[in-house]
Amino acid sequence: MIHQKNPITQSPNLSIKIGSLVLKNPVLLASGTCGYGTELDGLLDLDQLGGIIVKGISIKPSPGNPPPRLVETPCGLLNSIGLENVGIESFIGDKLPWLRNVKTSLIVNILGNSVEEYAEIAKKLDGAEGVKAIEVNISCPNVKAGGIAFGTDPEAAANVTRAVKKATDLPMIIKLTPNVTDITKVARKVASAGADAISLINTLLGMAIDIKSRRPALANVFGGLSGPAIKPIALRMVWQVVRAVDIPVIGVGGISSPDDALEFLMAGAKAVEIGTATLVRPGTAENVLAGIRDYMEANSIQNVDDLRLPE
Amino acid sequence: MPRFDIPARIIEQPQLAHGIFLLTVKAPAILDSANPGQFCMLEVKYNNSSDPLLRRPLSIYKTRANGQISFLYKEVGKGTRLLSKRRPGEIVRVLGPLGQGFRLIDDRPQCILVGGGLGIAPLLLLAERINQSGKLIILIGAGNASEIPTIEDFSGLTRYFHIATEDGSLGQRGMVTDLLAQTLREITGMAQIYTCGPWPMMKAVYYMARKKNIPCQVSLEAAMACGIGLCLGCAVPKSDSQGFLHVCREGPVFDADQVNWEYSQ
Repeated sequence: MIHQKNPITQSPNLSIKIGSLVLKNPVLLASGTCGYGTELDGLLDLDQLGGIIVKGISIKPSPGNPPPRLVETPCGLLNSIGLENVGIESFIGDKLPWLRNVKTSLIVNILGNSVEEYAEIAKKLDGAEGVKAIEVNISCPNVKAGGIAFGTDPEAAANVTRAVKKATDLPMIIKLTPNVTDITKVARKVASAGADAISLINTLLGMAIDIKSRRPALANVFGGLSGPAIKPIALRMVWQVVRAVDIPVIGVGGISSPDDALEFLMAGAKAVEIGTATLVRPGTAENVLAGIRDYMEANSIQNVDDLRLPE
Repeated sequence: MPRFDIPARIIEQPQLAHGIFLLTVKAPAILDSANPGQFCMLEVKYNNSSDPLLRRPLSIYKTRANGQISFLYKEVGKGTRLLSKRRPGEIVRVLGPLGQGFRLIDDRPQCILVGGGLGIAPLLLLAERINQSGKLIILIGAGNASEIPTIEDFSGLTRYFHIATEDGSLGQRGMVTDLLAQTLREITGMAQIYTCGPWPMMKAVYYMARKKNIPCQVSLEAAMACGIGLCLGCAVPKSDSQGFLHVCREGPVFDADQVNWEYSQ
């Protein structure tokens, strides 16, 4: 197919709305793959992006899991980092000042061991200058308490959603785990509990065994699978959730190219998060953004929302 | 410290011995800001392939004034096998220079470099840098001579140069730690040790250094996904049991007493 250049000189409108939050474009960096932003300084122009979702923050600093923490699998990456992070106080004191100078929307991913902890972190971020939204991680497969325990139980997921909603006026995105039988059940529950948006998917629970040492390859035995290998699953789940809820859905899972991102936007995602691909090529998000813009221009598509396939 | 993610043209890649390659690429920007002990992340996949997904971390072995950087590596798996098949003229994506390299200590009149096998890779630039002042002692060990095919790059740098191989095919028969024991008996005055090699070797070197109160810097290796501190995958336990060091960001070179040497993966 030959794409005709847009006869209209007007450039496409890439801005989107997630609740009350306006993003200049639909390309975000996924939590856990972009550090606290500074790590990418000079390798990726954060100012160009729709947003950055920084590494999951807990109340107390956490050292994470013992190594080995990583195994490469075909077209994928298994990790059991275990949510190593600096804790909310150090985040606000040491990381936030630098992030305030970045001209993109800052979204903070939060994690708790109890409903109360989620609410406590959300409250601390509520007044923090520069924070535009919260992404609530109820889906990490690598921690024993908390994380995924909330994401696999629709009632628990709804409880966390309500508690965070009460604790903050910031727009709240709930990040879902794919490690459930029916993701639309959890999605409907968190939507009716007041979530402003849903992002999915977090990693898929997996494992690998080192046949030389005859031991599980990860010290934690299980880990979360990410990367291109999981993209078809993520896309299917985004498609399902988009059709199950009325709130915006953000697609994440194996997106490495503009074509990947366009698939998610066509499935009905309002925005996309770039995760593992940033680890492989730090500049991926900029490339994805440019590719989306090119596609819209070539196909005379004026608004990002118009990419969604008709029902 | 500026870092670059650039497509670099392959100048040459001879196989020096069975499974050991010396890859030279043109990457002047990276070369200009590279320090001894730093590393790069090299893309091993072809074009838009997703397998293998991750880049491979390789120490910067050698630099030349014309903008060329060389990496000395061993084929150990699918990624390095693919990389070894790349030919002159092809492009390989290189991200670097990365990490914290060796710290040169000015008041140490004697520097002892201890390399095991291809652990010599990050030591050549360091040796060249040190050579301009003070006494340089280079100790290299390997299973046999064919595991260290670039030995001549080192042997000309100092007259205090010693090799040990386990099979006696080159230098003294034995371990590099035997050479270090001899050296530590002979030297007097202040010294600094720099080492890179297999974990048990570095551990032995560190314990010998500690006994003599000689500071020791080690260059560590770890599985890593990004090389720039994003994934936190390359964790190594700290000696004080308070969390982890990250090889890519705080390392790959550490003061050996920061590391928990009793930990084994």
